[in-house]
Amino acid sequence: MVKMYGVTRVYAGGVQALRGVNLSIDKGEFVFVVGPSGAGKSTLLAMIYRGTVPTRGQVWVAGRNIARLRWHEVPLLRRRIGIVFQDFKLLPDRSVYDNVAFALEVIEVSRRDIAKRVPMALDMVGLAHKAQAMPDELAGGEQQRVAIARAIVNDPFIVIADEPTGNLDPDTSMDIMNLLCDINMRGTTVIMATHNQLVVDRLRRRVVQLDEGAVVRDELRGGYCGEA
Amino acid sequence: MKLRTMAMLGGQALRSLRKTPALTSIMVVMACMVAVSVFAVFAVNLTAIGRQLQSQVQIRVFLDQNAAAPDKEALGLSIKALPGVTKVEYVSKDEALSRLRLQMGDSGFFLVDLEHNPLPDSFDVSLAHAEDARAVAGEVWKLKGISDVIYGQKWVDNLVGALRVLWGITGAVACLALVGASLIVSNTIRLSVFARRKEIEIMKLVGATDGFILLPFVMEGLVIGIAGSFAATALVAAGYVGLVTWVKSVASFIPIIGDPIHMRLAVIGTVAFGAAAGLAGSAISVRRYLKV
Repeated sequence: MVKMYGVTRVYAGGVQALRGVNLSIDKGEFVFVVGPSGAGKSTLLAMIYRGTVPTRGQVWVAGRNIARLRWHEVPLLRRRIGIVFQDFKLLPDRSVYDNVAFALEVIEVSRRDIAKRVPMALDMVGLAHKAQAMPDELAGGEQQRVAIARAIVNDPFIVIADEPTGNLDPDTSMDIMNLLCDINMRGTTVIMATHNQLVVDRLRRRVVQLDEGAVVRDELRGGYCGEA
Repeated sequence: MKLRTMAMLGGQALRSLRKTPALTSIMVVMACMVAVSVFAVFAVNLTAIGRQLQSQVQIRVFLDQNAAAPDKEALGLSIKALPGVTKVEYVSKDEALSRLRLQMGDSGFFLVDLEHNPLPDSFDVSLAHAEDARAVAGEVWKLKGISDVIYGQKWVDNLVGALRVLWGITGAVACLALVGASLIVSNTIRLSVFARRKEIEIMKLVGATDGFILLPFVMEGLVIGIAGSFAATALVAAGYVGLVTWVKSVASFIPIIGDPIHMRLAVIGTVAFGAAAGLAGSAISVRRYLKV
């Protein structure tokens, strides 16, 4: 599903975000990527949806070397990946329904399909009753649910979540985590970068820990801080 | 791309126009296009007048009085054979005098008392292009039996030069207008990209194609360019139609261009020019600010 071979990413100015990362994530896995700020978590996630490309090494996603993708193939890859961010990235002038539908409109899905798939996604995240609400009328957790609905509406094979609970209180964070677990239970791979010790320790899933761009721990049912 | 998608993107472009200072851009594009149109109108009309005047340019070749009659015929044929010469007409000294009398009218009273005709025999040489006058005159001078060659050299050179300068200025104004209009459109598109940066970011993340993301901005630039140039055309056309009517009533001998085919071509040309400026402006901003 996702394979990284000796991936190094050096940004302009010489900052090394990743150093020789080797990683293999199978279909249906739930993986936490943990580590301090600046450890390279977001860069690692961005490699998967080709938000960036490796300076050295290779990243393979669904059998394709992402550095070798042609420009017109990148959107096709992203259509198969759902992405969730800490700041939700919702359009403030569109309703909940329209925000989710937007992800389908821009990839030219037919109106009939949009009308069928958007309510299903909203139902999945428990927001069917707020379809016509505007984002600023929703609480933080609800806004993140809308972002998750948008990420899954195109039925992706992988969901990438970059600190999705970063702006949420512990209870709401657990709600969001339960939602991501439900999505994972349906066979979708979930890769999530987080600082949230509570959710990592409670869920006990695979944990990949980064420090200064290098993988320092890869534990199958790990906690936030490891065995030590 | 589906028709529904095109309509959606067109809608996005129009919505975006309302959020950016598009009206200002349209006005600036209009001002640029008015400048181009006015210069083009001048250049086209002066060229037409110039062509008419050029068609009347002739070289007059005066013959050596000592040349015998058969030589004159051979000389005429030699001149006719020169490149650029369309017609050669022999004017005898007697005919020249009667023409002079006719031209002088009442002022030619002194011609009556002439004891003998002082005018030489000559050839009136018509040319295909007035700008060839100097070269043809030079060739004629090389022939034997010629006493003088005259043509409106300075006048022809001045006319050709003036028309070149006018077209040069028109070209320069057109270039400046294109750059100015493109930059203002580019600036508007830049604001538009900035206003929609969040939307663009999401579009990229959910897998919208580059074309899908770019098209509304290209459409926006195109709309500004076309709207500005269309307004300019309407303004200039209204003024020009008035001018044509006035000139035809007051000075009908001036060959001002007023036929509908030329007018339509001018309208299409100006709008196409504006559209090109709009597209160029969009392209600048899209390339610089929209990293897709």
